[in-house]
Amino acid sequence: MITFSKQRWLGWTIFIALSLWIVQLYWRHAAKMPGLVYLSGWALLAVMLVLTLYNGRKKIPFLPLFTSEAWLQFHIYAGLLTGVLFLIHIDFHIPTGWFQGTLAWLYVLVMLSGFYGLFLSRTIPQRLTTRGGEVLFERIPAIRRRLQERAEAIALKSIPEARSTTVADFYARELKDFFDTERNGWQHLFEIRTTVNRLLNKIGDLNRYLNAQERATMDEMAALVREKDGLDYHFSLQRALKLWLFAHIPLTYGLLLFTLAHIILVFAYSGGAR
Amino acid sequence: MPAAPITLERPQRWDSSFDPEMTEADVDRLMTTAPFSAMKPENFSPKVPLRGILRHDASIRRYRAGEIVVREGDYGTSAFLLLSGTVRVVLKPGLPPSLLGRRESSRKGLIRLLAQLWSGLKEPEVGGPPQSKQDGRVGARRDASDQVKVFLQDIPRVLDEHRTATIAPGEFFGEIAALSRMPRTASIFVESDEAELLEIRWQGLRDLRRYDEALRIHIDEIYRKRALRAALRELPIFQPLTDDALEQVVARAEFGTYGEYDWSGAYKNLVQGSAGGQRQQEPSIADEGDYPNGVILIKAGFARVSQKFGNGHRTLNYLGAGQMYGLQEIAHNWRNPQATVPLQYTLRVIGYTHVIVIPTSVMEQVVLPAVPPAQLPPLVAAPGEDGAPAPPSAADASAKIGADVLEFLTEGRYFNGTATMLINLDRCTRCDDCVRACATAHDNNPRFLRHGPINDRFMVANACMHCADPICMIGCPTGAIHRAAFGGQVVINPATCIGCQTCFKNCPYDAIRMVEVRGADGEILVDKEMKPIALATKCDLCIEQVTGPACQRACPHGALVRMNMNDLDAFADWLKR
Repeated sequence: MITFSKQRWLGWTIFIALSLWIVQLYWRHAAKMPGLVYLSGWALLAVMLVLTLYNGRKKIPFLPLFTSEAWLQFHIYAGLLTGVLFLIHIDFHIPTGWFQGTLAWLYVLVMLSGFYGLFLSRTIPQRLTTRGGEVLFERIPAIRRRLQERAEAIALKSIPEARSTTVADFYARELKDFFDTERNGWQHLFEIRTTVNRLLNKIGDLNRYLNAQERATMDEMAALVREKDGLDYHFSLQRALKLWLFAHIPLTYGLLLFTLAHIILVFAYSGGAR
Repeated sequence: MPAAPITLERPQRWDSSFDPEMTEADVDRLMTTAPFSAMKPENFSPKVPLRGILRHDASIRRYRAGEIVVREGDYGTSAFLLLSGTVRVVLKPGLPPSLLGRRESSRKGLIRLLAQLWSGLKEPEVGGPPQSKQDGRVGARRDASDQVKVFLQDIPRVLDEHRTATIAPGEFFGEIAALSRMPRTASIFVESDEAELLEIRWQGLRDLRRYDEALRIHIDEIYRKRALRAALRELPIFQPLTDDALEQVVARAEFGTYGEYDWSGAYKNLVQGSAGGQRQQEPSIADEGDYPNGVILIKAGFARVSQKFGNGHRTLNYLGAGQMYGLQEIAHNWRNPQATVPLQYTLRVIGYTHVIVIPTSVMEQVVLPAVPPAQLPPLVAAPGEDGAPAPPSAADASAKIGADVLEFLTEGRYFNGTATMLINLDRCTRCDDCVRACATAHDNNPRFLRHGPINDRFMVANACMHCADPICMIGCPTGAIHRAAFGGQVVINPATCIGCQTCFKNCPYDAIRMVEVRGADGEILVDKEMKPIALATKCDLCIEQVTGPACQRACPHGALVRMNMNDLDAFADWLKR
């Protein structure tokens, strides 16, 4: 079983070797080969199409077409290689004109969204594991609903038990919104705990006005707040892990459509490939 | 004020009889039947009298012509004594899988492989009603006690096509499988119009063997002949022995069974009751500090190797079938008679363990002199002069995978898995590509949950582990759950599953699910009482796919793996990956 570090080392080695080879070919032959721009363009398109096939490969796991892990490794390093091909294709100049500019921007956005996805894929899982409370994303709304019902029941139960509405009032004023829906999504993404800490402090502050029974009730409520906060944390981070693909894939298809138009335009106005 | 203790009736051996319908009249009748008529009741313990065994650990079963009593390859917890009628045992090569309620799994061809591209579009769990696809030469019916009996339709043809032998009244069968937890070696069916059999659960058989010498000699003889010789020959330490020397070992070997055969229920109660209390309830087979009486070979089940640590015991390893305990100490003492050592570790039962014991004297006189010195285990390391503990020995698996991981695996009994689904949570992006791939490979029906117990940074998912010791296979009335002929995966044949939930309730790992099945048009199938028909489903390790487990191949981040938990080196490599 090849270790992840060896896998990474192998990927980078192949990528750097290929990149250096391509760049030195470019420096040596660019001046002598006026058709190099077509060659780099077709090569770029070919690699991009293979990269796009990865999404299709996921739909047919039962066919013997290498493992998804192998495909992803190829996707990452071949994706990086398209950067080299792209720079050669544009001859290291920023494209001019709205169409070429849009095409270039689409390419850059696809690359950036890919990097962002890779960054999330490599950092969020560890954060989720460290936080604990593993939960399936699809089950989060149901669990959130149950927590909300439990919190509400605790608040309502405190009225006849303590013959006071202090806890119930506090719930309605400070906690109801927190339990009703997902909260602090952005804060969780950046590990900021200001809001939930403030909420827990308020619960602590309230204790001075409560009798022993109410304090026990609020301890129970604080435990629920922590549980809900953990659930929101998982929701926010798991959603981020899913959402980046909603940028990466549509941008990829947009890029392919613009590339197709680009090829048609190039051939329409150049009199065919030389 | 401390609360008053809750008092309960102490559980007794026969609180739950094997067959509550058994009467004193039945016992009287059995006492006049061979071999019980020849047994001496005074030889039995007053706590476990012969009549008590017959009353509470046995059941008189009546079968009709063609009904299958035991199936080859099944696991069973009981033995049978033929009281009347005739039964036939099918000799090798045995009945075809389709007659035993099984499916001959084969890899999908190109057309079926590609057809999966559109077959996943239909409703989930679409299938015909149970038994609709069963072999036409087999039928099923319910007996008076509402138990399902599978029967062969055409006995003369079976007799024509297969070699069989007759079992006569008064003969036992199935006793080795019941006592040693080995799969049944042959299928047996009823030939006469009717047959009456006495089914004895393994606890009763164990006690009959303990208190009746003739039965013990009979069973031991069969065991030595059928199982022991071959089992010993497979082990490297006995391979240098000549046939005569091996015969001496076989003749003097002892064997025993510890724990509970069907430990799943007890295990579930333990887990739900008190965490950490498990080890106290595991009977010990051999204790650290004792004189080594013999080498203990694990034949079936599992055992925990532990060592005293503080006020408790630290798990060092677990042993499965084919592994040995006590050899290092015995070999050490044989080479160093002036500086002998006691047993270095304690061996405890995990659930159920069947062991063979080769006495120390046999090892010293017959086995060790024949073994090349290089093949002997190293000497037992002495503690340092300053009292520092000896360096970790080969028995200490915690050096490979860490003590906490080892405890987790042992407490959860995950080492039972030969294809346990492990997920590295530091790599897993929770994308569920594994679940989708599983669904795609199974007509739109995922066969596992990406959820399960977690230790530190890895999860043991609720997917069938294809256990080395498959408790789920005990008691299936139709043989629907079985091991695949090639590969040994534990699979369920949906055509013969009747939804009795036996396997579902037996599985200690929550890896089997009952699903409501649909007809071809997507409608939920119901029985005559309008209750949905639910069948057992589980991971089949993509036995029909050419690529193997789709879940593992679908993981983009290398987070998911199917692991044989008895290969701790591979597991350690995976943990360090």
